[in-house]
Amino acid sequence: MLLGACIRQDIAGNSPQANFETLWSIIDRQYCFLGYKYEQYGLDWDEVHERYARRVTDTMTWEQLFEVLSEMVAELRDGHVNLTSAMGTSQYREWFDAYPHNFSDSIQRIYLGKDYTVSSALTYRVLENNIGYIYVGSFNTGLGDGNLSQMLSLLAMCDGLIVDVRDNGGGELTNAQRMAARFTNEKVLVGYMCHKTGTGHDDFSRPGPVYIEPADGVRWQKPVVVLTNRRSYSATNDFVNSMRQFPLVTTLGDKTGGGSGLPFTSELPCGWGIRFSASPMFDPSMQQLEFGIDPDVKVDMTVEDMARGRDTMIERACEILKK
Amino acid sequence: MMTRKYSGWFLPVLLLMAACLRLSAQEADSLPAREVVRSLMAGGGFANVLDTYLSPLEYTGEGACVLFENLRMTRLRGKPWLSQHQVQLDYSYTHNPSRSAYMHSGMVLYAYSLQRPFRLAPFLAGYVGPEAEVAAGVVYNRRNSNNPAQAKAFLSVGATARLAADCRVGRLPLRVGWQAHLPVVGIAFSPHYGESYYEMFSLGEGGWHNVVMTSFHNRPSLRQLLTLDIPIGRGVGRVGYLADFRQTRLHHLKYHSWTHSSLIGYVRHLRLLDARRQFSSHSPF
Repeated sequence: MLLGACIRQDIAGNSPQANFETLWSIIDRQYCFLGYKYEQYGLDWDEVHERYARRVTDTMTWEQLFEVLSEMVAELRDGHVNLTSAMGTSQYREWFDAYPHNFSDSIQRIYLGKDYTVSSALTYRVLENNIGYIYVGSFNTGLGDGNLSQMLSLLAMCDGLIVDVRDNGGGELTNAQRMAARFTNEKVLVGYMCHKTGTGHDDFSRPGPVYIEPADGVRWQKPVVVLTNRRSYSATNDFVNSMRQFPLVTTLGDKTGGGSGLPFTSELPCGWGIRFSASPMFDPSMQQLEFGIDPDVKVDMTVEDMARGRDTMIERACEILKK
Repeated sequence: MMTRKYSGWFLPVLLLMAACLRLSAQEADSLPAREVVRSLMAGGGFANVLDTYLSPLEYTGEGACVLFENLRMTRLRGKPWLSQHQVQLDYSYTHNPSRSAYMHSGMVLYAYSLQRPFRLAPFLAGYVGPEAEVAAGVVYNRRNSNNPAQAKAFLSVGATARLAADCRVGRLPLRVGWQAHLPVVGIAFSPHYGESYYEMFSLGEGGWHNVVMTSFHNRPSLRQLLTLDIPIGRGVGRVGYLADFRQTRLHHLKYHSWTHSSLIGYVRHLRLLDARRQFSSHSPF
């Protein structure tokens, strides 16, 4: 008994059924929102197994298997869940496709004009009404402390600041937190995070607090409006959650896309990759953020404004900051 | 089910250790007291790596290994003991069954043991004793996102047993050696089942829950080395085979690294000089 057996993982070959079972099992054991989504919209992962197992046969092609498995993981309604193969990457897009886009880069270019600065992931300038405008299109690119200090120094004479994270699909959490640290003078609790401790749907660790501590460099001391849309996702969702804990910050626009699970990667016997949410994050009152964050001020881009080359959200943000 | 047993590998070790412990044969102080034997071997072979923190699939491929060993007889409470230091460096580059993803694995191991010698036969010496081992390494999967790597760290005490047999082929004297290392109890580092390194280190949530007690039930591991020493000119060459089976089952995470390596190297016999005698002889060194 003491000397035991070889330690191995049971994988029953590379048949369509084996790949199906492996994928179902990875989600069943490691996906972190099965309990929460059962409460939210009745997701029953055992029932999903029963329903999709009937569609998997020995004779099906790899293309057909990819289609069935993509549909199965779409049941999770999670933009962080992607099945990747040579045939493509499955994506659940309802979290943004079902809503107005609320962003136009051609209209944004009108506001940026020709006199703007690009530094790392930051694009910024001073608008004509002495409001600073920063566009952060991604948190994938490294955001250096030098970039942030230089930008905030240049915008220091502005009356207020717009931080636009629309269409920012996320990236590295550390980049999002490094930027948020420029907007607080004290250590602030911005939420909690936990992780799975076992294979059960409710096997979680004690939630650990997440703090934003003030950055050492230049910090912003005036009002800020953060612009969001449904494509503000993942690390950007986390950034918005952090920013809304600070007293001088207003969030404006549409609800964020969510995506509060830290994604892990695994794979199937056939070599296809599967990304999935592994560790949930919460706000300071332990509320889930997986399905997005409502803005303080709900604003949609209007057809009339867009026809006139005006960005409704930027205009509304300027009004708030000028008050 | 693809589960295979390998408890048979342990059997020879246990039998040998039991036999050695029961033997009341004469002690084999086979290595002269002031002699040090050092060997250095390098080689490569086959590797099979599984780490379910990174993937549920077994990765297979090639591995390389360097093994340094230092042996010296010493006396404790009037009894002869063989003191052994071992440093082992391992690297493997493996792929999943479909060759769509690759892993790098590396491990550094240091082991120190004290072994009691026994003369089992005129040509055969046996040694057995306790061993302390510390190892650290990493497994890195090139495809993964927020779980790209898994750190490995082990500290353990266990047992080691070795045999050394002298023989001849024609007029050529040879020495055949075999040694097994068996960690018995210790501690190991492991994240929780779904815990990210971001949580552990960026958020500072790592702690004592990442340190796990280990024994046979969750770390059944065994390292075996078979060697053949061949005199070449005034030196000694060594060829060997290393079978290294490391396994853990910690926090519901499974890990194994099975490597089979062919090794080649050399052995040096050094005689230590007594510094006091050197001073008295007015040696400039």
